[in-house]
Amino acid sequence: MKILRPLIPLTVILILYFALKEGVPYLGSQLHEGTWPVIPTSVMKMYVFFIAVGVLLIFTFTDDGFKANIGPFAEIYLNPDRKIIRFVSAVLVGCFGAWVSYQYVKPTFDAPVELRSIHPAPPSNAKMWGKTYSIGTLKNPLREDKENFAANVKAGGEVYYKNCFYCHGDRMLGKGPFWDGFTPVPANFVDIGTIAQLSESFVFWRIGTGGPGLPSEATPWLSAMPVWHEFLSEEEVWKVILFLYDYTGHSPRVIEPHH
Amino acid sequence: MALKKNSSVAGNRYLKIFMVAFALAVLFPFSGSLELSAENFSVSDVWAEDAAGGEPAATEGEGADGESAEGEAVESNEWKPAPPPVLETKDYPLIPGFNSRMWVWYVAQLHLFFAAFVLGVPMFVWAIELIGVLSGDKRYDRMAHEFMKVSMTGFSLAASFGGLLAFLLFVCYPDFMSYMTSIFGKTMIFYAVLFFAESFFVYTYYYGWDAMDNAKMKKVHLALGLGLNIAGMTLMVVSNSWASFMMAPSGIGDDGAFLGNVWAAINGPLWNPLNLHRVIANVAYGGSLTAAYAAYKFVTVDPKATEDRAHYDWMGYTSFIVAMVGLLPLPFAGYWLTKEVYGYSQQMGITLMGGVFAWLFILQAVLIGAIFLSANYYLWCSLGRTEAAKRYYFMIKPLGIVIVIAFLMWFTPHTLIMTSTEVTQVGGTHHPVLGPFGVMAAKNTAVNTLILATFLSFQIFRRAGIKAVGDGFWAKNGTAIQVALYTAAMGNIVILGVYSYVIPASVRIGLSVPQVCTTAVVIILAMIIDGKMFKKSEEVSETKWGQMPMRSQYALFMLAISFTWLMGLMGYCRSAIRQHWHVYTVFRDNSVEAFTPTLPFAALHVTIIVVIFMALVFFMFWMPILASKKGKVGAEQKAH
Amino acid sequence: MKDLLKIFVFALVIIFGFAGYTRYGLPLIIPEAPPVEEKLSGDITMEQYIGIGDKIFNGKGTCTLCHSPVGGRAPLLDTIGSLALERLKDERYKGKATTGEEYILESLVDTSAFVVAGFGKTGTNDTVSPMPNVDKGAIGLSDVEMGAVIAYLQSIAGVEVTVALPSGDSSAMPEEEAPATIKLAESAAEAFIKFECTMCHIGPEIEEGGDMGPDLGGFAATAGSRKEGVSARAFVLESIMNPNAVIAEGFDADTMPDDYPARMTFAEFNLIADAILGVKNQ
Repeated sequence: MKILRPLIPLTVILILYFALKEGVPYLGSQLHEGTWPVIPTSVMKMYVFFIAVGVLLIFTFTDDGFKANIGPFAEIYLNPDRKIIRFVSAVLVGCFGAWVSYQYVKPTFDAPVELRSIHPAPPSNAKMWGKTYSIGTLKNPLREDKENFAANVKAGGEVYYKNCFYCHGDRMLGKGPFWDGFTPVPANFVDIGTIAQLSESFVFWRIGTGGPGLPSEATPWLSAMPVWHEFLSEEEVWKVILFLYDYTGHSPRVIEPHH
Repeated sequence: MALKKNSSVAGNRYLKIFMVAFALAVLFPFSGSLELSAENFSVSDVWAEDAAGGEPAATEGEGADGESAEGEAVESNEWKPAPPPVLETKDYPLIPGFNSRMWVWYVAQLHLFFAAFVLGVPMFVWAIELIGVLSGDKRYDRMAHEFMKVSMTGFSLAASFGGLLAFLLFVCYPDFMSYMTSIFGKTMIFYAVLFFAESFFVYTYYYGWDAMDNAKMKKVHLALGLGLNIAGMTLMVVSNSWASFMMAPSGIGDDGAFLGNVWAAINGPLWNPLNLHRVIANVAYGGSLTAAYAAYKFVTVDPKATEDRAHYDWMGYTSFIVAMVGLLPLPFAGYWLTKEVYGYSQQMGITLMGGVFAWLFILQAVLIGAIFLSANYYLWCSLGRTEAAKRYYFMIKPLGIVIVIAFLMWFTPHTLIMTSTEVTQVGGTHHPVLGPFGVMAAKNTAVNTLILATFLSFQIFRRAGIKAVGDGFWAKNGTAIQVALYTAAMGNIVILGVYSYVIPASVRIGLSVPQVCTTAVVIILAMIIDGKMFKKSEEVSETKWGQMPMRSQYALFMLAISFTWLMGLMGYCRSAIRQHWHVYTVFRDNSVEAFTPTLPFAALHVTIIVVIFMALVFFMFWMPILASKKGKVGAEQKAH
Repeated sequence: MKDLLKIFVFALVIIFGFAGYTRYGLPLIIPEAPPVEEKLSGDITMEQYIGIGDKIFNGKGTCTLCHSPVGGRAPLLDTIGSLALERLKDERYKGKATTGEEYILESLVDTSAFVVAGFGKTGTNDTVSPMPNVDKGAIGLSDVEMGAVIAYLQSIAGVEVTVALPSGDSSAMPEEEAPATIKLAESAAEAFIKFECTMCHIGPEIEEGGDMGPDLGGFAATAGSRKEGVSARAFVLESIMNPNAVIAEGFDADTMPDDYPARMTFAEFNLIADAILGVKNQ
């Protein structure tokens, strides 16, 4: 029996691991110059786990494969003649366990991992401009106004460049002059993961109440987004929403009324 | 291949045990109702409670239009439905050391496990019996009978837990239950009556199996099976309407008072999506549990008893196929349900997908991935039954790679957890490479790929030991056409997936439909081509049933366990998105336990429930074995 | 039996693996506790109620415009809570109040019931108050809001707060005050109200106004010649932005607020100036 045979699947797993570890950031650096977008550890762990499972399944579905790849473990741990290799492998496994444990407990200077819920559930009602809005049923009043649509979008653009541009940027990419001063960084509206996923009433609520208006499930939250209903009028906010969707070419999520 | 005989002695003994268990199950809730009779609860109300329900369209057809609803309201002038009361903590009975919420949770979940099992099994038992009748192959008939035998203990356990659940609900949540009864009272009585019909069909179908096993009576027996399924399905649909009403109430006024039209209350926005999702899931679940039963028998049976092993291998395989037939459309039924949840209430939808429960769906993705991986592994191992399958081994590696890649895409979260260092390296919280995998477009592409790859594994298995003969067009070109079909389909799915990144959201959601259709068309066409190709076929090498490695049986266990756990988890999710409401937005839960459990808390309790369930399932599997063992002993004694 | 045990252990490993992944592999989100019931949302403590009164007194109610040490245009209210009872006994008192609380409320809605000596409209011998009714017009406080103001006044006077807390009806709760800056005046009449000109002046576009400041009706004719080398419009500008530069005959200095440069936009000034100078807009 070839005792080292299990090294083949192990090598395959390692190769795939490094391919992901270096390949994804390389690809990312081509898309966004100046960054090195590593796969976050939390996701990487799951990737590696399931790649390992997948590789093991592929290597062991035949009886021959199973014997060749799993047999050596039985050989090492059950055959009395394999003392030395048993000892060595036990030490290696122990060391690996120790290393993993050490990684978990060693002191670190990193800030704690922050989880933010990008699109927390909106409250059913939100208070802005001294009025109470029902987020579930709220519609953009200017959306229906086809006649003045272009004018409203233009006005929204003015509001945007006077107020929002500094963080969210001239091309709505979340890269305004101040963007790198913030954690979390300003939202990128062109990305299909932001306003393209949301209804206008949701966007209205997020603009109107800003960072402080986020529910506690979206914490820890350091968003520097101002509470815009204190600075802009309701109409200006609706206009700027029109502008955001118009500029990015996204259309707001429409909640279909039932029946 | 010889199959196991069924001993009628065993059947008789089993009948007695079952009768006692069932009598207990019936009496138990009845005793509860006596204590409560002062509060105007009828026995049938209590009985009816265990699922949650509504009257079907057939009996209330007229009620669907507004005018007759008004008419009803006028007729019942004396009795005006009250809006749900605003309760305070003290309105809930407090029993020291007894957590109402947890007890109801445990019992409801256990009831649902068994109920899903015993509703799912008769569906495919009936189908298998029909196949047996049509093909004239007795083996199918015997297998169907054995499946039914396994589910019989489940039937009484489902009833027992249902009774206990009803009892607990009326004791722990009296005000809530009287509100529900004020709306669904009629349907609860209907449910109770229907339950007797279900019992009648179950008895006659199972115990009449051998007696009716002749050309004349077989049709009657099939009719009984059909009746069993119709009764079971109606029971489930009725009880679903209670659950869907609690999530998305309908047929009530703004203050929550019943408007008088039961059908309107039943036919809420989530009723039909829930019905479809549960019917499909019941089939898949029933299949996976009977597969686990067969695997259990395969593992524990004497290795030298090759006939028994062959039988249980075949039984496990058949159950597995049933589970897959249910599993493949399940994600799409789930999408429909979620879409309707969004349609009903954006707030509920976002709570579900983007808020507190967002990570539950990553967990769900991992579990579904685990189910798909073990399913494929079982199919790959199945190739070992025949020598000639080695021809196809070269395809397994690429298939495995495709499945793993699709799976990794499928569970990549939308919100990535990153340390601050990682955020700096990535240049923000949006990951340029992984980010696009977080959205629905990628998930749809991934799940369709997963399904196609799994189906391909199945197709490979089917032709492992045979080859087409003859000069027919299909025999010659069938494989080439199928390869072209798969290539085109994958191309279509991937292109649609990529295309959906560049179009507006409203159109994007619609694109999942052609993706699903592509998958469905490939599966149907490939089956048809297979049929034509192998019209004339010959065995290349013998298929040796029973020649399966033990690890493949563990893949079947994995399937059943993951399925059960996932079902418990999604049960928590479905119920918890109501948050602090008994009936969403209408009837508030003001009991001390009205919190939304965190995911780890729920996972822990689901785990405990599943352990209890597993212990009961071992009992359930052991019952027929016990019965047949005693039967064997009896037979041996007779022989002496 | 051994196989059975193996299967059971296998199953336990799998499901506890799932539970472990949930616990340690996924971030923990703690759902929000059920919100406090709506019925209770109107329930606030007296301290909060007084806090609301404070905010209204110094903000939305525009009370400090006059009731402040700077202008001296109206009596200070820091001791009104205790003074109220004495006022009831005053022979000049014409109202129907019997308690301190009622007195203060009356002063808010029927301002002439008692006029503190020296603070009446000129020429009325302290019988008519220049103060507008705060439950009407631009200020328009609700009952609950006036209650909050009374509670606040009582608390700063150091007397017992007798105001009852508002009932649970949340619609009666004071709305969060709207920031004053967001709404731009769109007409002269609006601007006059927004900048409280009507409190003291009468003139064009002002139907009802006070008399603590000069009548603006004659401005159009005289503004151009009030100061040498200064155009009418520039004079209006100066009079608003730096009110103490030129004091009209018969009026006191330091009466008019001097914070307009910070509050008034140029567009709003134009509306006011056009109205005062009689410039017709299209």
